[in-house]
Amino acid sequence: MKSKFNKYINISMVLLRFWQTSLAIELEYQLNMLIELVSVLGNLFGSLFILSLFYKSGPLLGGWNFFEALIVLGIYMILEGITTSILAPNLSRIVNHVKNGTLDYVLLKPIDSQLWLSLRIISPWGLPSQLIGILLIIYSLVSIQVDLSLFNILIFFTCLFASSLILYSLWFLLASTSIWFVKVWNATEVLRSILVAGRYPMSAYPRGLRTIFTFLIPIAFLTTVPAEVIIGRVSNEYIAIILIIAAIFFAISRRFWKFALLHYTSASS
Amino acid sequence: MSYKPRQHKVLWFLRVIKSLLINQYALMMEYRAEIALWALSGILPLIMLGLWSQTNIQDLIELQGFNLKRYFLSAFVVRQFTVVWVIFSFEEDIVQGRLSPFLLQPVPLFWRYYTSHIAEQITRVPIVALMIMILSVVLPNSFWLPKFTELILTTFVIFLAFTVRFMIHWAFAMSCFWVERASSIERLLLIPYLFFSGLVAPIDTFPKEISQIAYLTPYPYLLSFPANLLSGHHVNIQLNIMILIFWALFLFLISTLAWKKGVKHFTAMGA
Amino acid sequence: MSMASISVNALTKNYSVSRKTPGIKGTLKHFLFRRTETITAVDEISFSIQPGEMVGFIGPNGAGKTTTLKMLCGLIHPTSGDVSVIGHKPHSLEPGFLKQITLVMGQKQQLLWDLPPLDSIKVNAAVYGISPRETNNRIDELASMLGLGNELNRPVRKLSLGERMKAELLAALLHRPSILFLDEPTLGLDVISQVRVREFLSSYNERYGATMLLSSHYMGDITSLCDRVILIHHGQIIHDGSLITLTEKLAPLKSVRLELNKPQTRESIGKYGLIEDYTDTFAQLLIPRKALTSSISNILRDLPVTDLEVSDPPIEELIRQLFESGENLSI
Repeated sequence: MKSKFNKYINISMVLLRFWQTSLAIELEYQLNMLIELVSVLGNLFGSLFILSLFYKSGPLLGGWNFFEALIVLGIYMILEGITTSILAPNLSRIVNHVKNGTLDYVLLKPIDSQLWLSLRIISPWGLPSQLIGILLIIYSLVSIQVDLSLFNILIFFTCLFASSLILYSLWFLLASTSIWFVKVWNATEVLRSILVAGRYPMSAYPRGLRTIFTFLIPIAFLTTVPAEVIIGRVSNEYIAIILIIAAIFFAISRRFWKFALLHYTSASS
Repeated sequence: MSYKPRQHKVLWFLRVIKSLLINQYALMMEYRAEIALWALSGILPLIMLGLWSQTNIQDLIELQGFNLKRYFLSAFVVRQFTVVWVIFSFEEDIVQGRLSPFLLQPVPLFWRYYTSHIAEQITRVPIVALMIMILSVVLPNSFWLPKFTELILTTFVIFLAFTVRFMIHWAFAMSCFWVERASSIERLLLIPYLFFSGLVAPIDTFPKEISQIAYLTPYPYLLSFPANLLSGHHVNIQLNIMILIFWALFLFLISTLAWKKGVKHFTAMGA
Repeated sequence: MSMASISVNALTKNYSVSRKTPGIKGTLKHFLFRRTETITAVDEISFSIQPGEMVGFIGPNGAGKTTTLKMLCGLIHPTSGDVSVIGHKPHSLEPGFLKQITLVMGQKQQLLWDLPPLDSIKVNAAVYGISPRETNNRIDELASMLGLGNELNRPVRKLSLGERMKAELLAALLHRPSILFLDEPTLGLDVISQVRVREFLSSYNERYGATMLLSSHYMGDITSLCDRVILIHHGQIIHDGSLITLTEKLAPLKSVRLELNKPQTRESIGKYGLIEDYTDTFAQLLIPRKALTSSISNILRDLPVTDLEVSDPPIEELIRQLFESGENLSI
């Protein structure tokens, strides 16, 4: 029990070290901060503008009013921020490790390789998007008079955790295929382009797309379902569903990585 | 007397462009799997088509005979052939130290990137064709056959639009001479393109004031115009083409000036 | 023998390689009728290394050196045979095993390009669970052994190749491994840095009794560090023993240089050995090792010798000849 505890302490020390070093690199480029802020604000106003166009043609978008749709957008922006902060900088480097052969060094470290590859770097440039996302959600919740109780906040962060885990697992699954296919390192970009659909409530899409976004690529569980839980459109039991789906995806990503490594270590030269 | 060497120079230049194109095409063929995925990641117009198809968009648009499906399918095609990543390439070349040898070559670096983009588009043609075939199965009854002359005209306009977009990015790429990590500007440039070009919503749905602002930028001409042209919507072809040419020339002028200053700065730094 | 740090028995690695002709036609054909063939990279090799030994691992490119090294540290699964490194099966990659080994590859670096080496080194310290105080002690110690100072605070991209390699070694040895796998650790370094790296490895070995398996193309690394060499070719060991016996095996002839005070005919010199070079008062001969003593006493008796020098051909030259001599070599 104690050794397990020590292990976690040790891992968090490692992570702190990682992040300290990666922040040190990023903060050398101050111009990026400005560009990132402008880009996040631009994206926000653009999205609000497009959303307002939808509502010009009718009072509801797939049965959602404007503020409810804003919550979906807010969750999307938070996930986008997490992508910029953690997923993109770490997972897009896996292919470089494979190409340069430095994956060997990662595998020879006495630490879980998936952890190392997924959390080595943290980039501050995703923060503005996460912050604005949270503000947007608070603003909308107040506007539609949802009770901001501690319980609801807890529910919200549980949902957010689950949907981040699903997002991470999807990214990691695609990124780890680069162990076989170095040439299609940009497969994660395709995922990213499809995830854009998560900006809007799923019910706003025609049935065909809705089916794809629910069962094939679980975008519905990334933004829409969490939003439904917070607003109270569906019962709280839905949290369990999101959590189970998240657990399944995470388990698949770990299994797949083990499988990929087996291939790597039995075929690499 | 002075005529002949001049003609030689033009011929020489054409030969250089031709060999650059062939060379870059061979390179792009090596990347075709990657390019196929890039093409696949251009599905935003199709997602937007899905959303708009569920709304009463026709109430917002005054344009007679506006066809939503045609518009977004056309936007999808136009977007496929106007992709630009020159800032990224240019920055990479500077960081990797490839710029100095390039500067020693008699052909301006501009042409190297320009031909490489065109070569990528040529590689894309069969991929996009395949995607359109799949779409025609998934979305039956939404396809139309443009007239041959219209097709030729649209190809020309798309090429022109690509050139203008390339010039915008090339002009901003010049900032790589002065700042590190200028490639994040590429992200920034995507935002006005996303919202002002008509990629996520037809510009006709915009409120008057905002569409007026949009038309002051080059963006609507880069996507909305070619997409409407391909859809068979009524557009003022001559005027739009003139405006595209104006932007191309204007940006060419600016980027040439910036290039000269940048090279001076670069060589003065002793890199 | 149970004391050995590394023991390898009939270790084999086969790769199955699919053959594909280039072009679309080739791809299609490949898709329909997949033709694979098996390539044996490492072919039933056996050896064992005692604790504290420094063993040179040599052979031409593609001989199977890197594959063997990677099987020993667990990055490649063997097709058959047994490997045991300090009592562990390497390919399970258990933390207890990983904490005792290190792999250094001259052409691949683990330090982050944009950061000072110290930052990456401290990350390693956290990963290996070394306390901050202990970390500082070890850094100081290794840095002084390597002759590193302020370089550890400069971004890696601003370091010279030699400084970078030294920093890589520091990062790789911070956890004080007892087994070192070194794959071309001096690749591309200038002569001074090469010597420095060798001196460091030798003193690390002395201080910690570490076992080292070193592959290098620079025979200088091998001759100055390793008493024992394993020569591998086409996946098989063709020599395992001291460097001297390898030289004797490879060079059955010694080279003898003569300077004479009176001109001699070619024939009168030629009877003592094979003439490599000849002017009337100078000659270079190749004489079989076994006949060396008698031949030299004959030469001294019969010829007006002013100077005589006996030498081995340089080992680099011998190895090069060996590898160029083609497929079927036996010594």
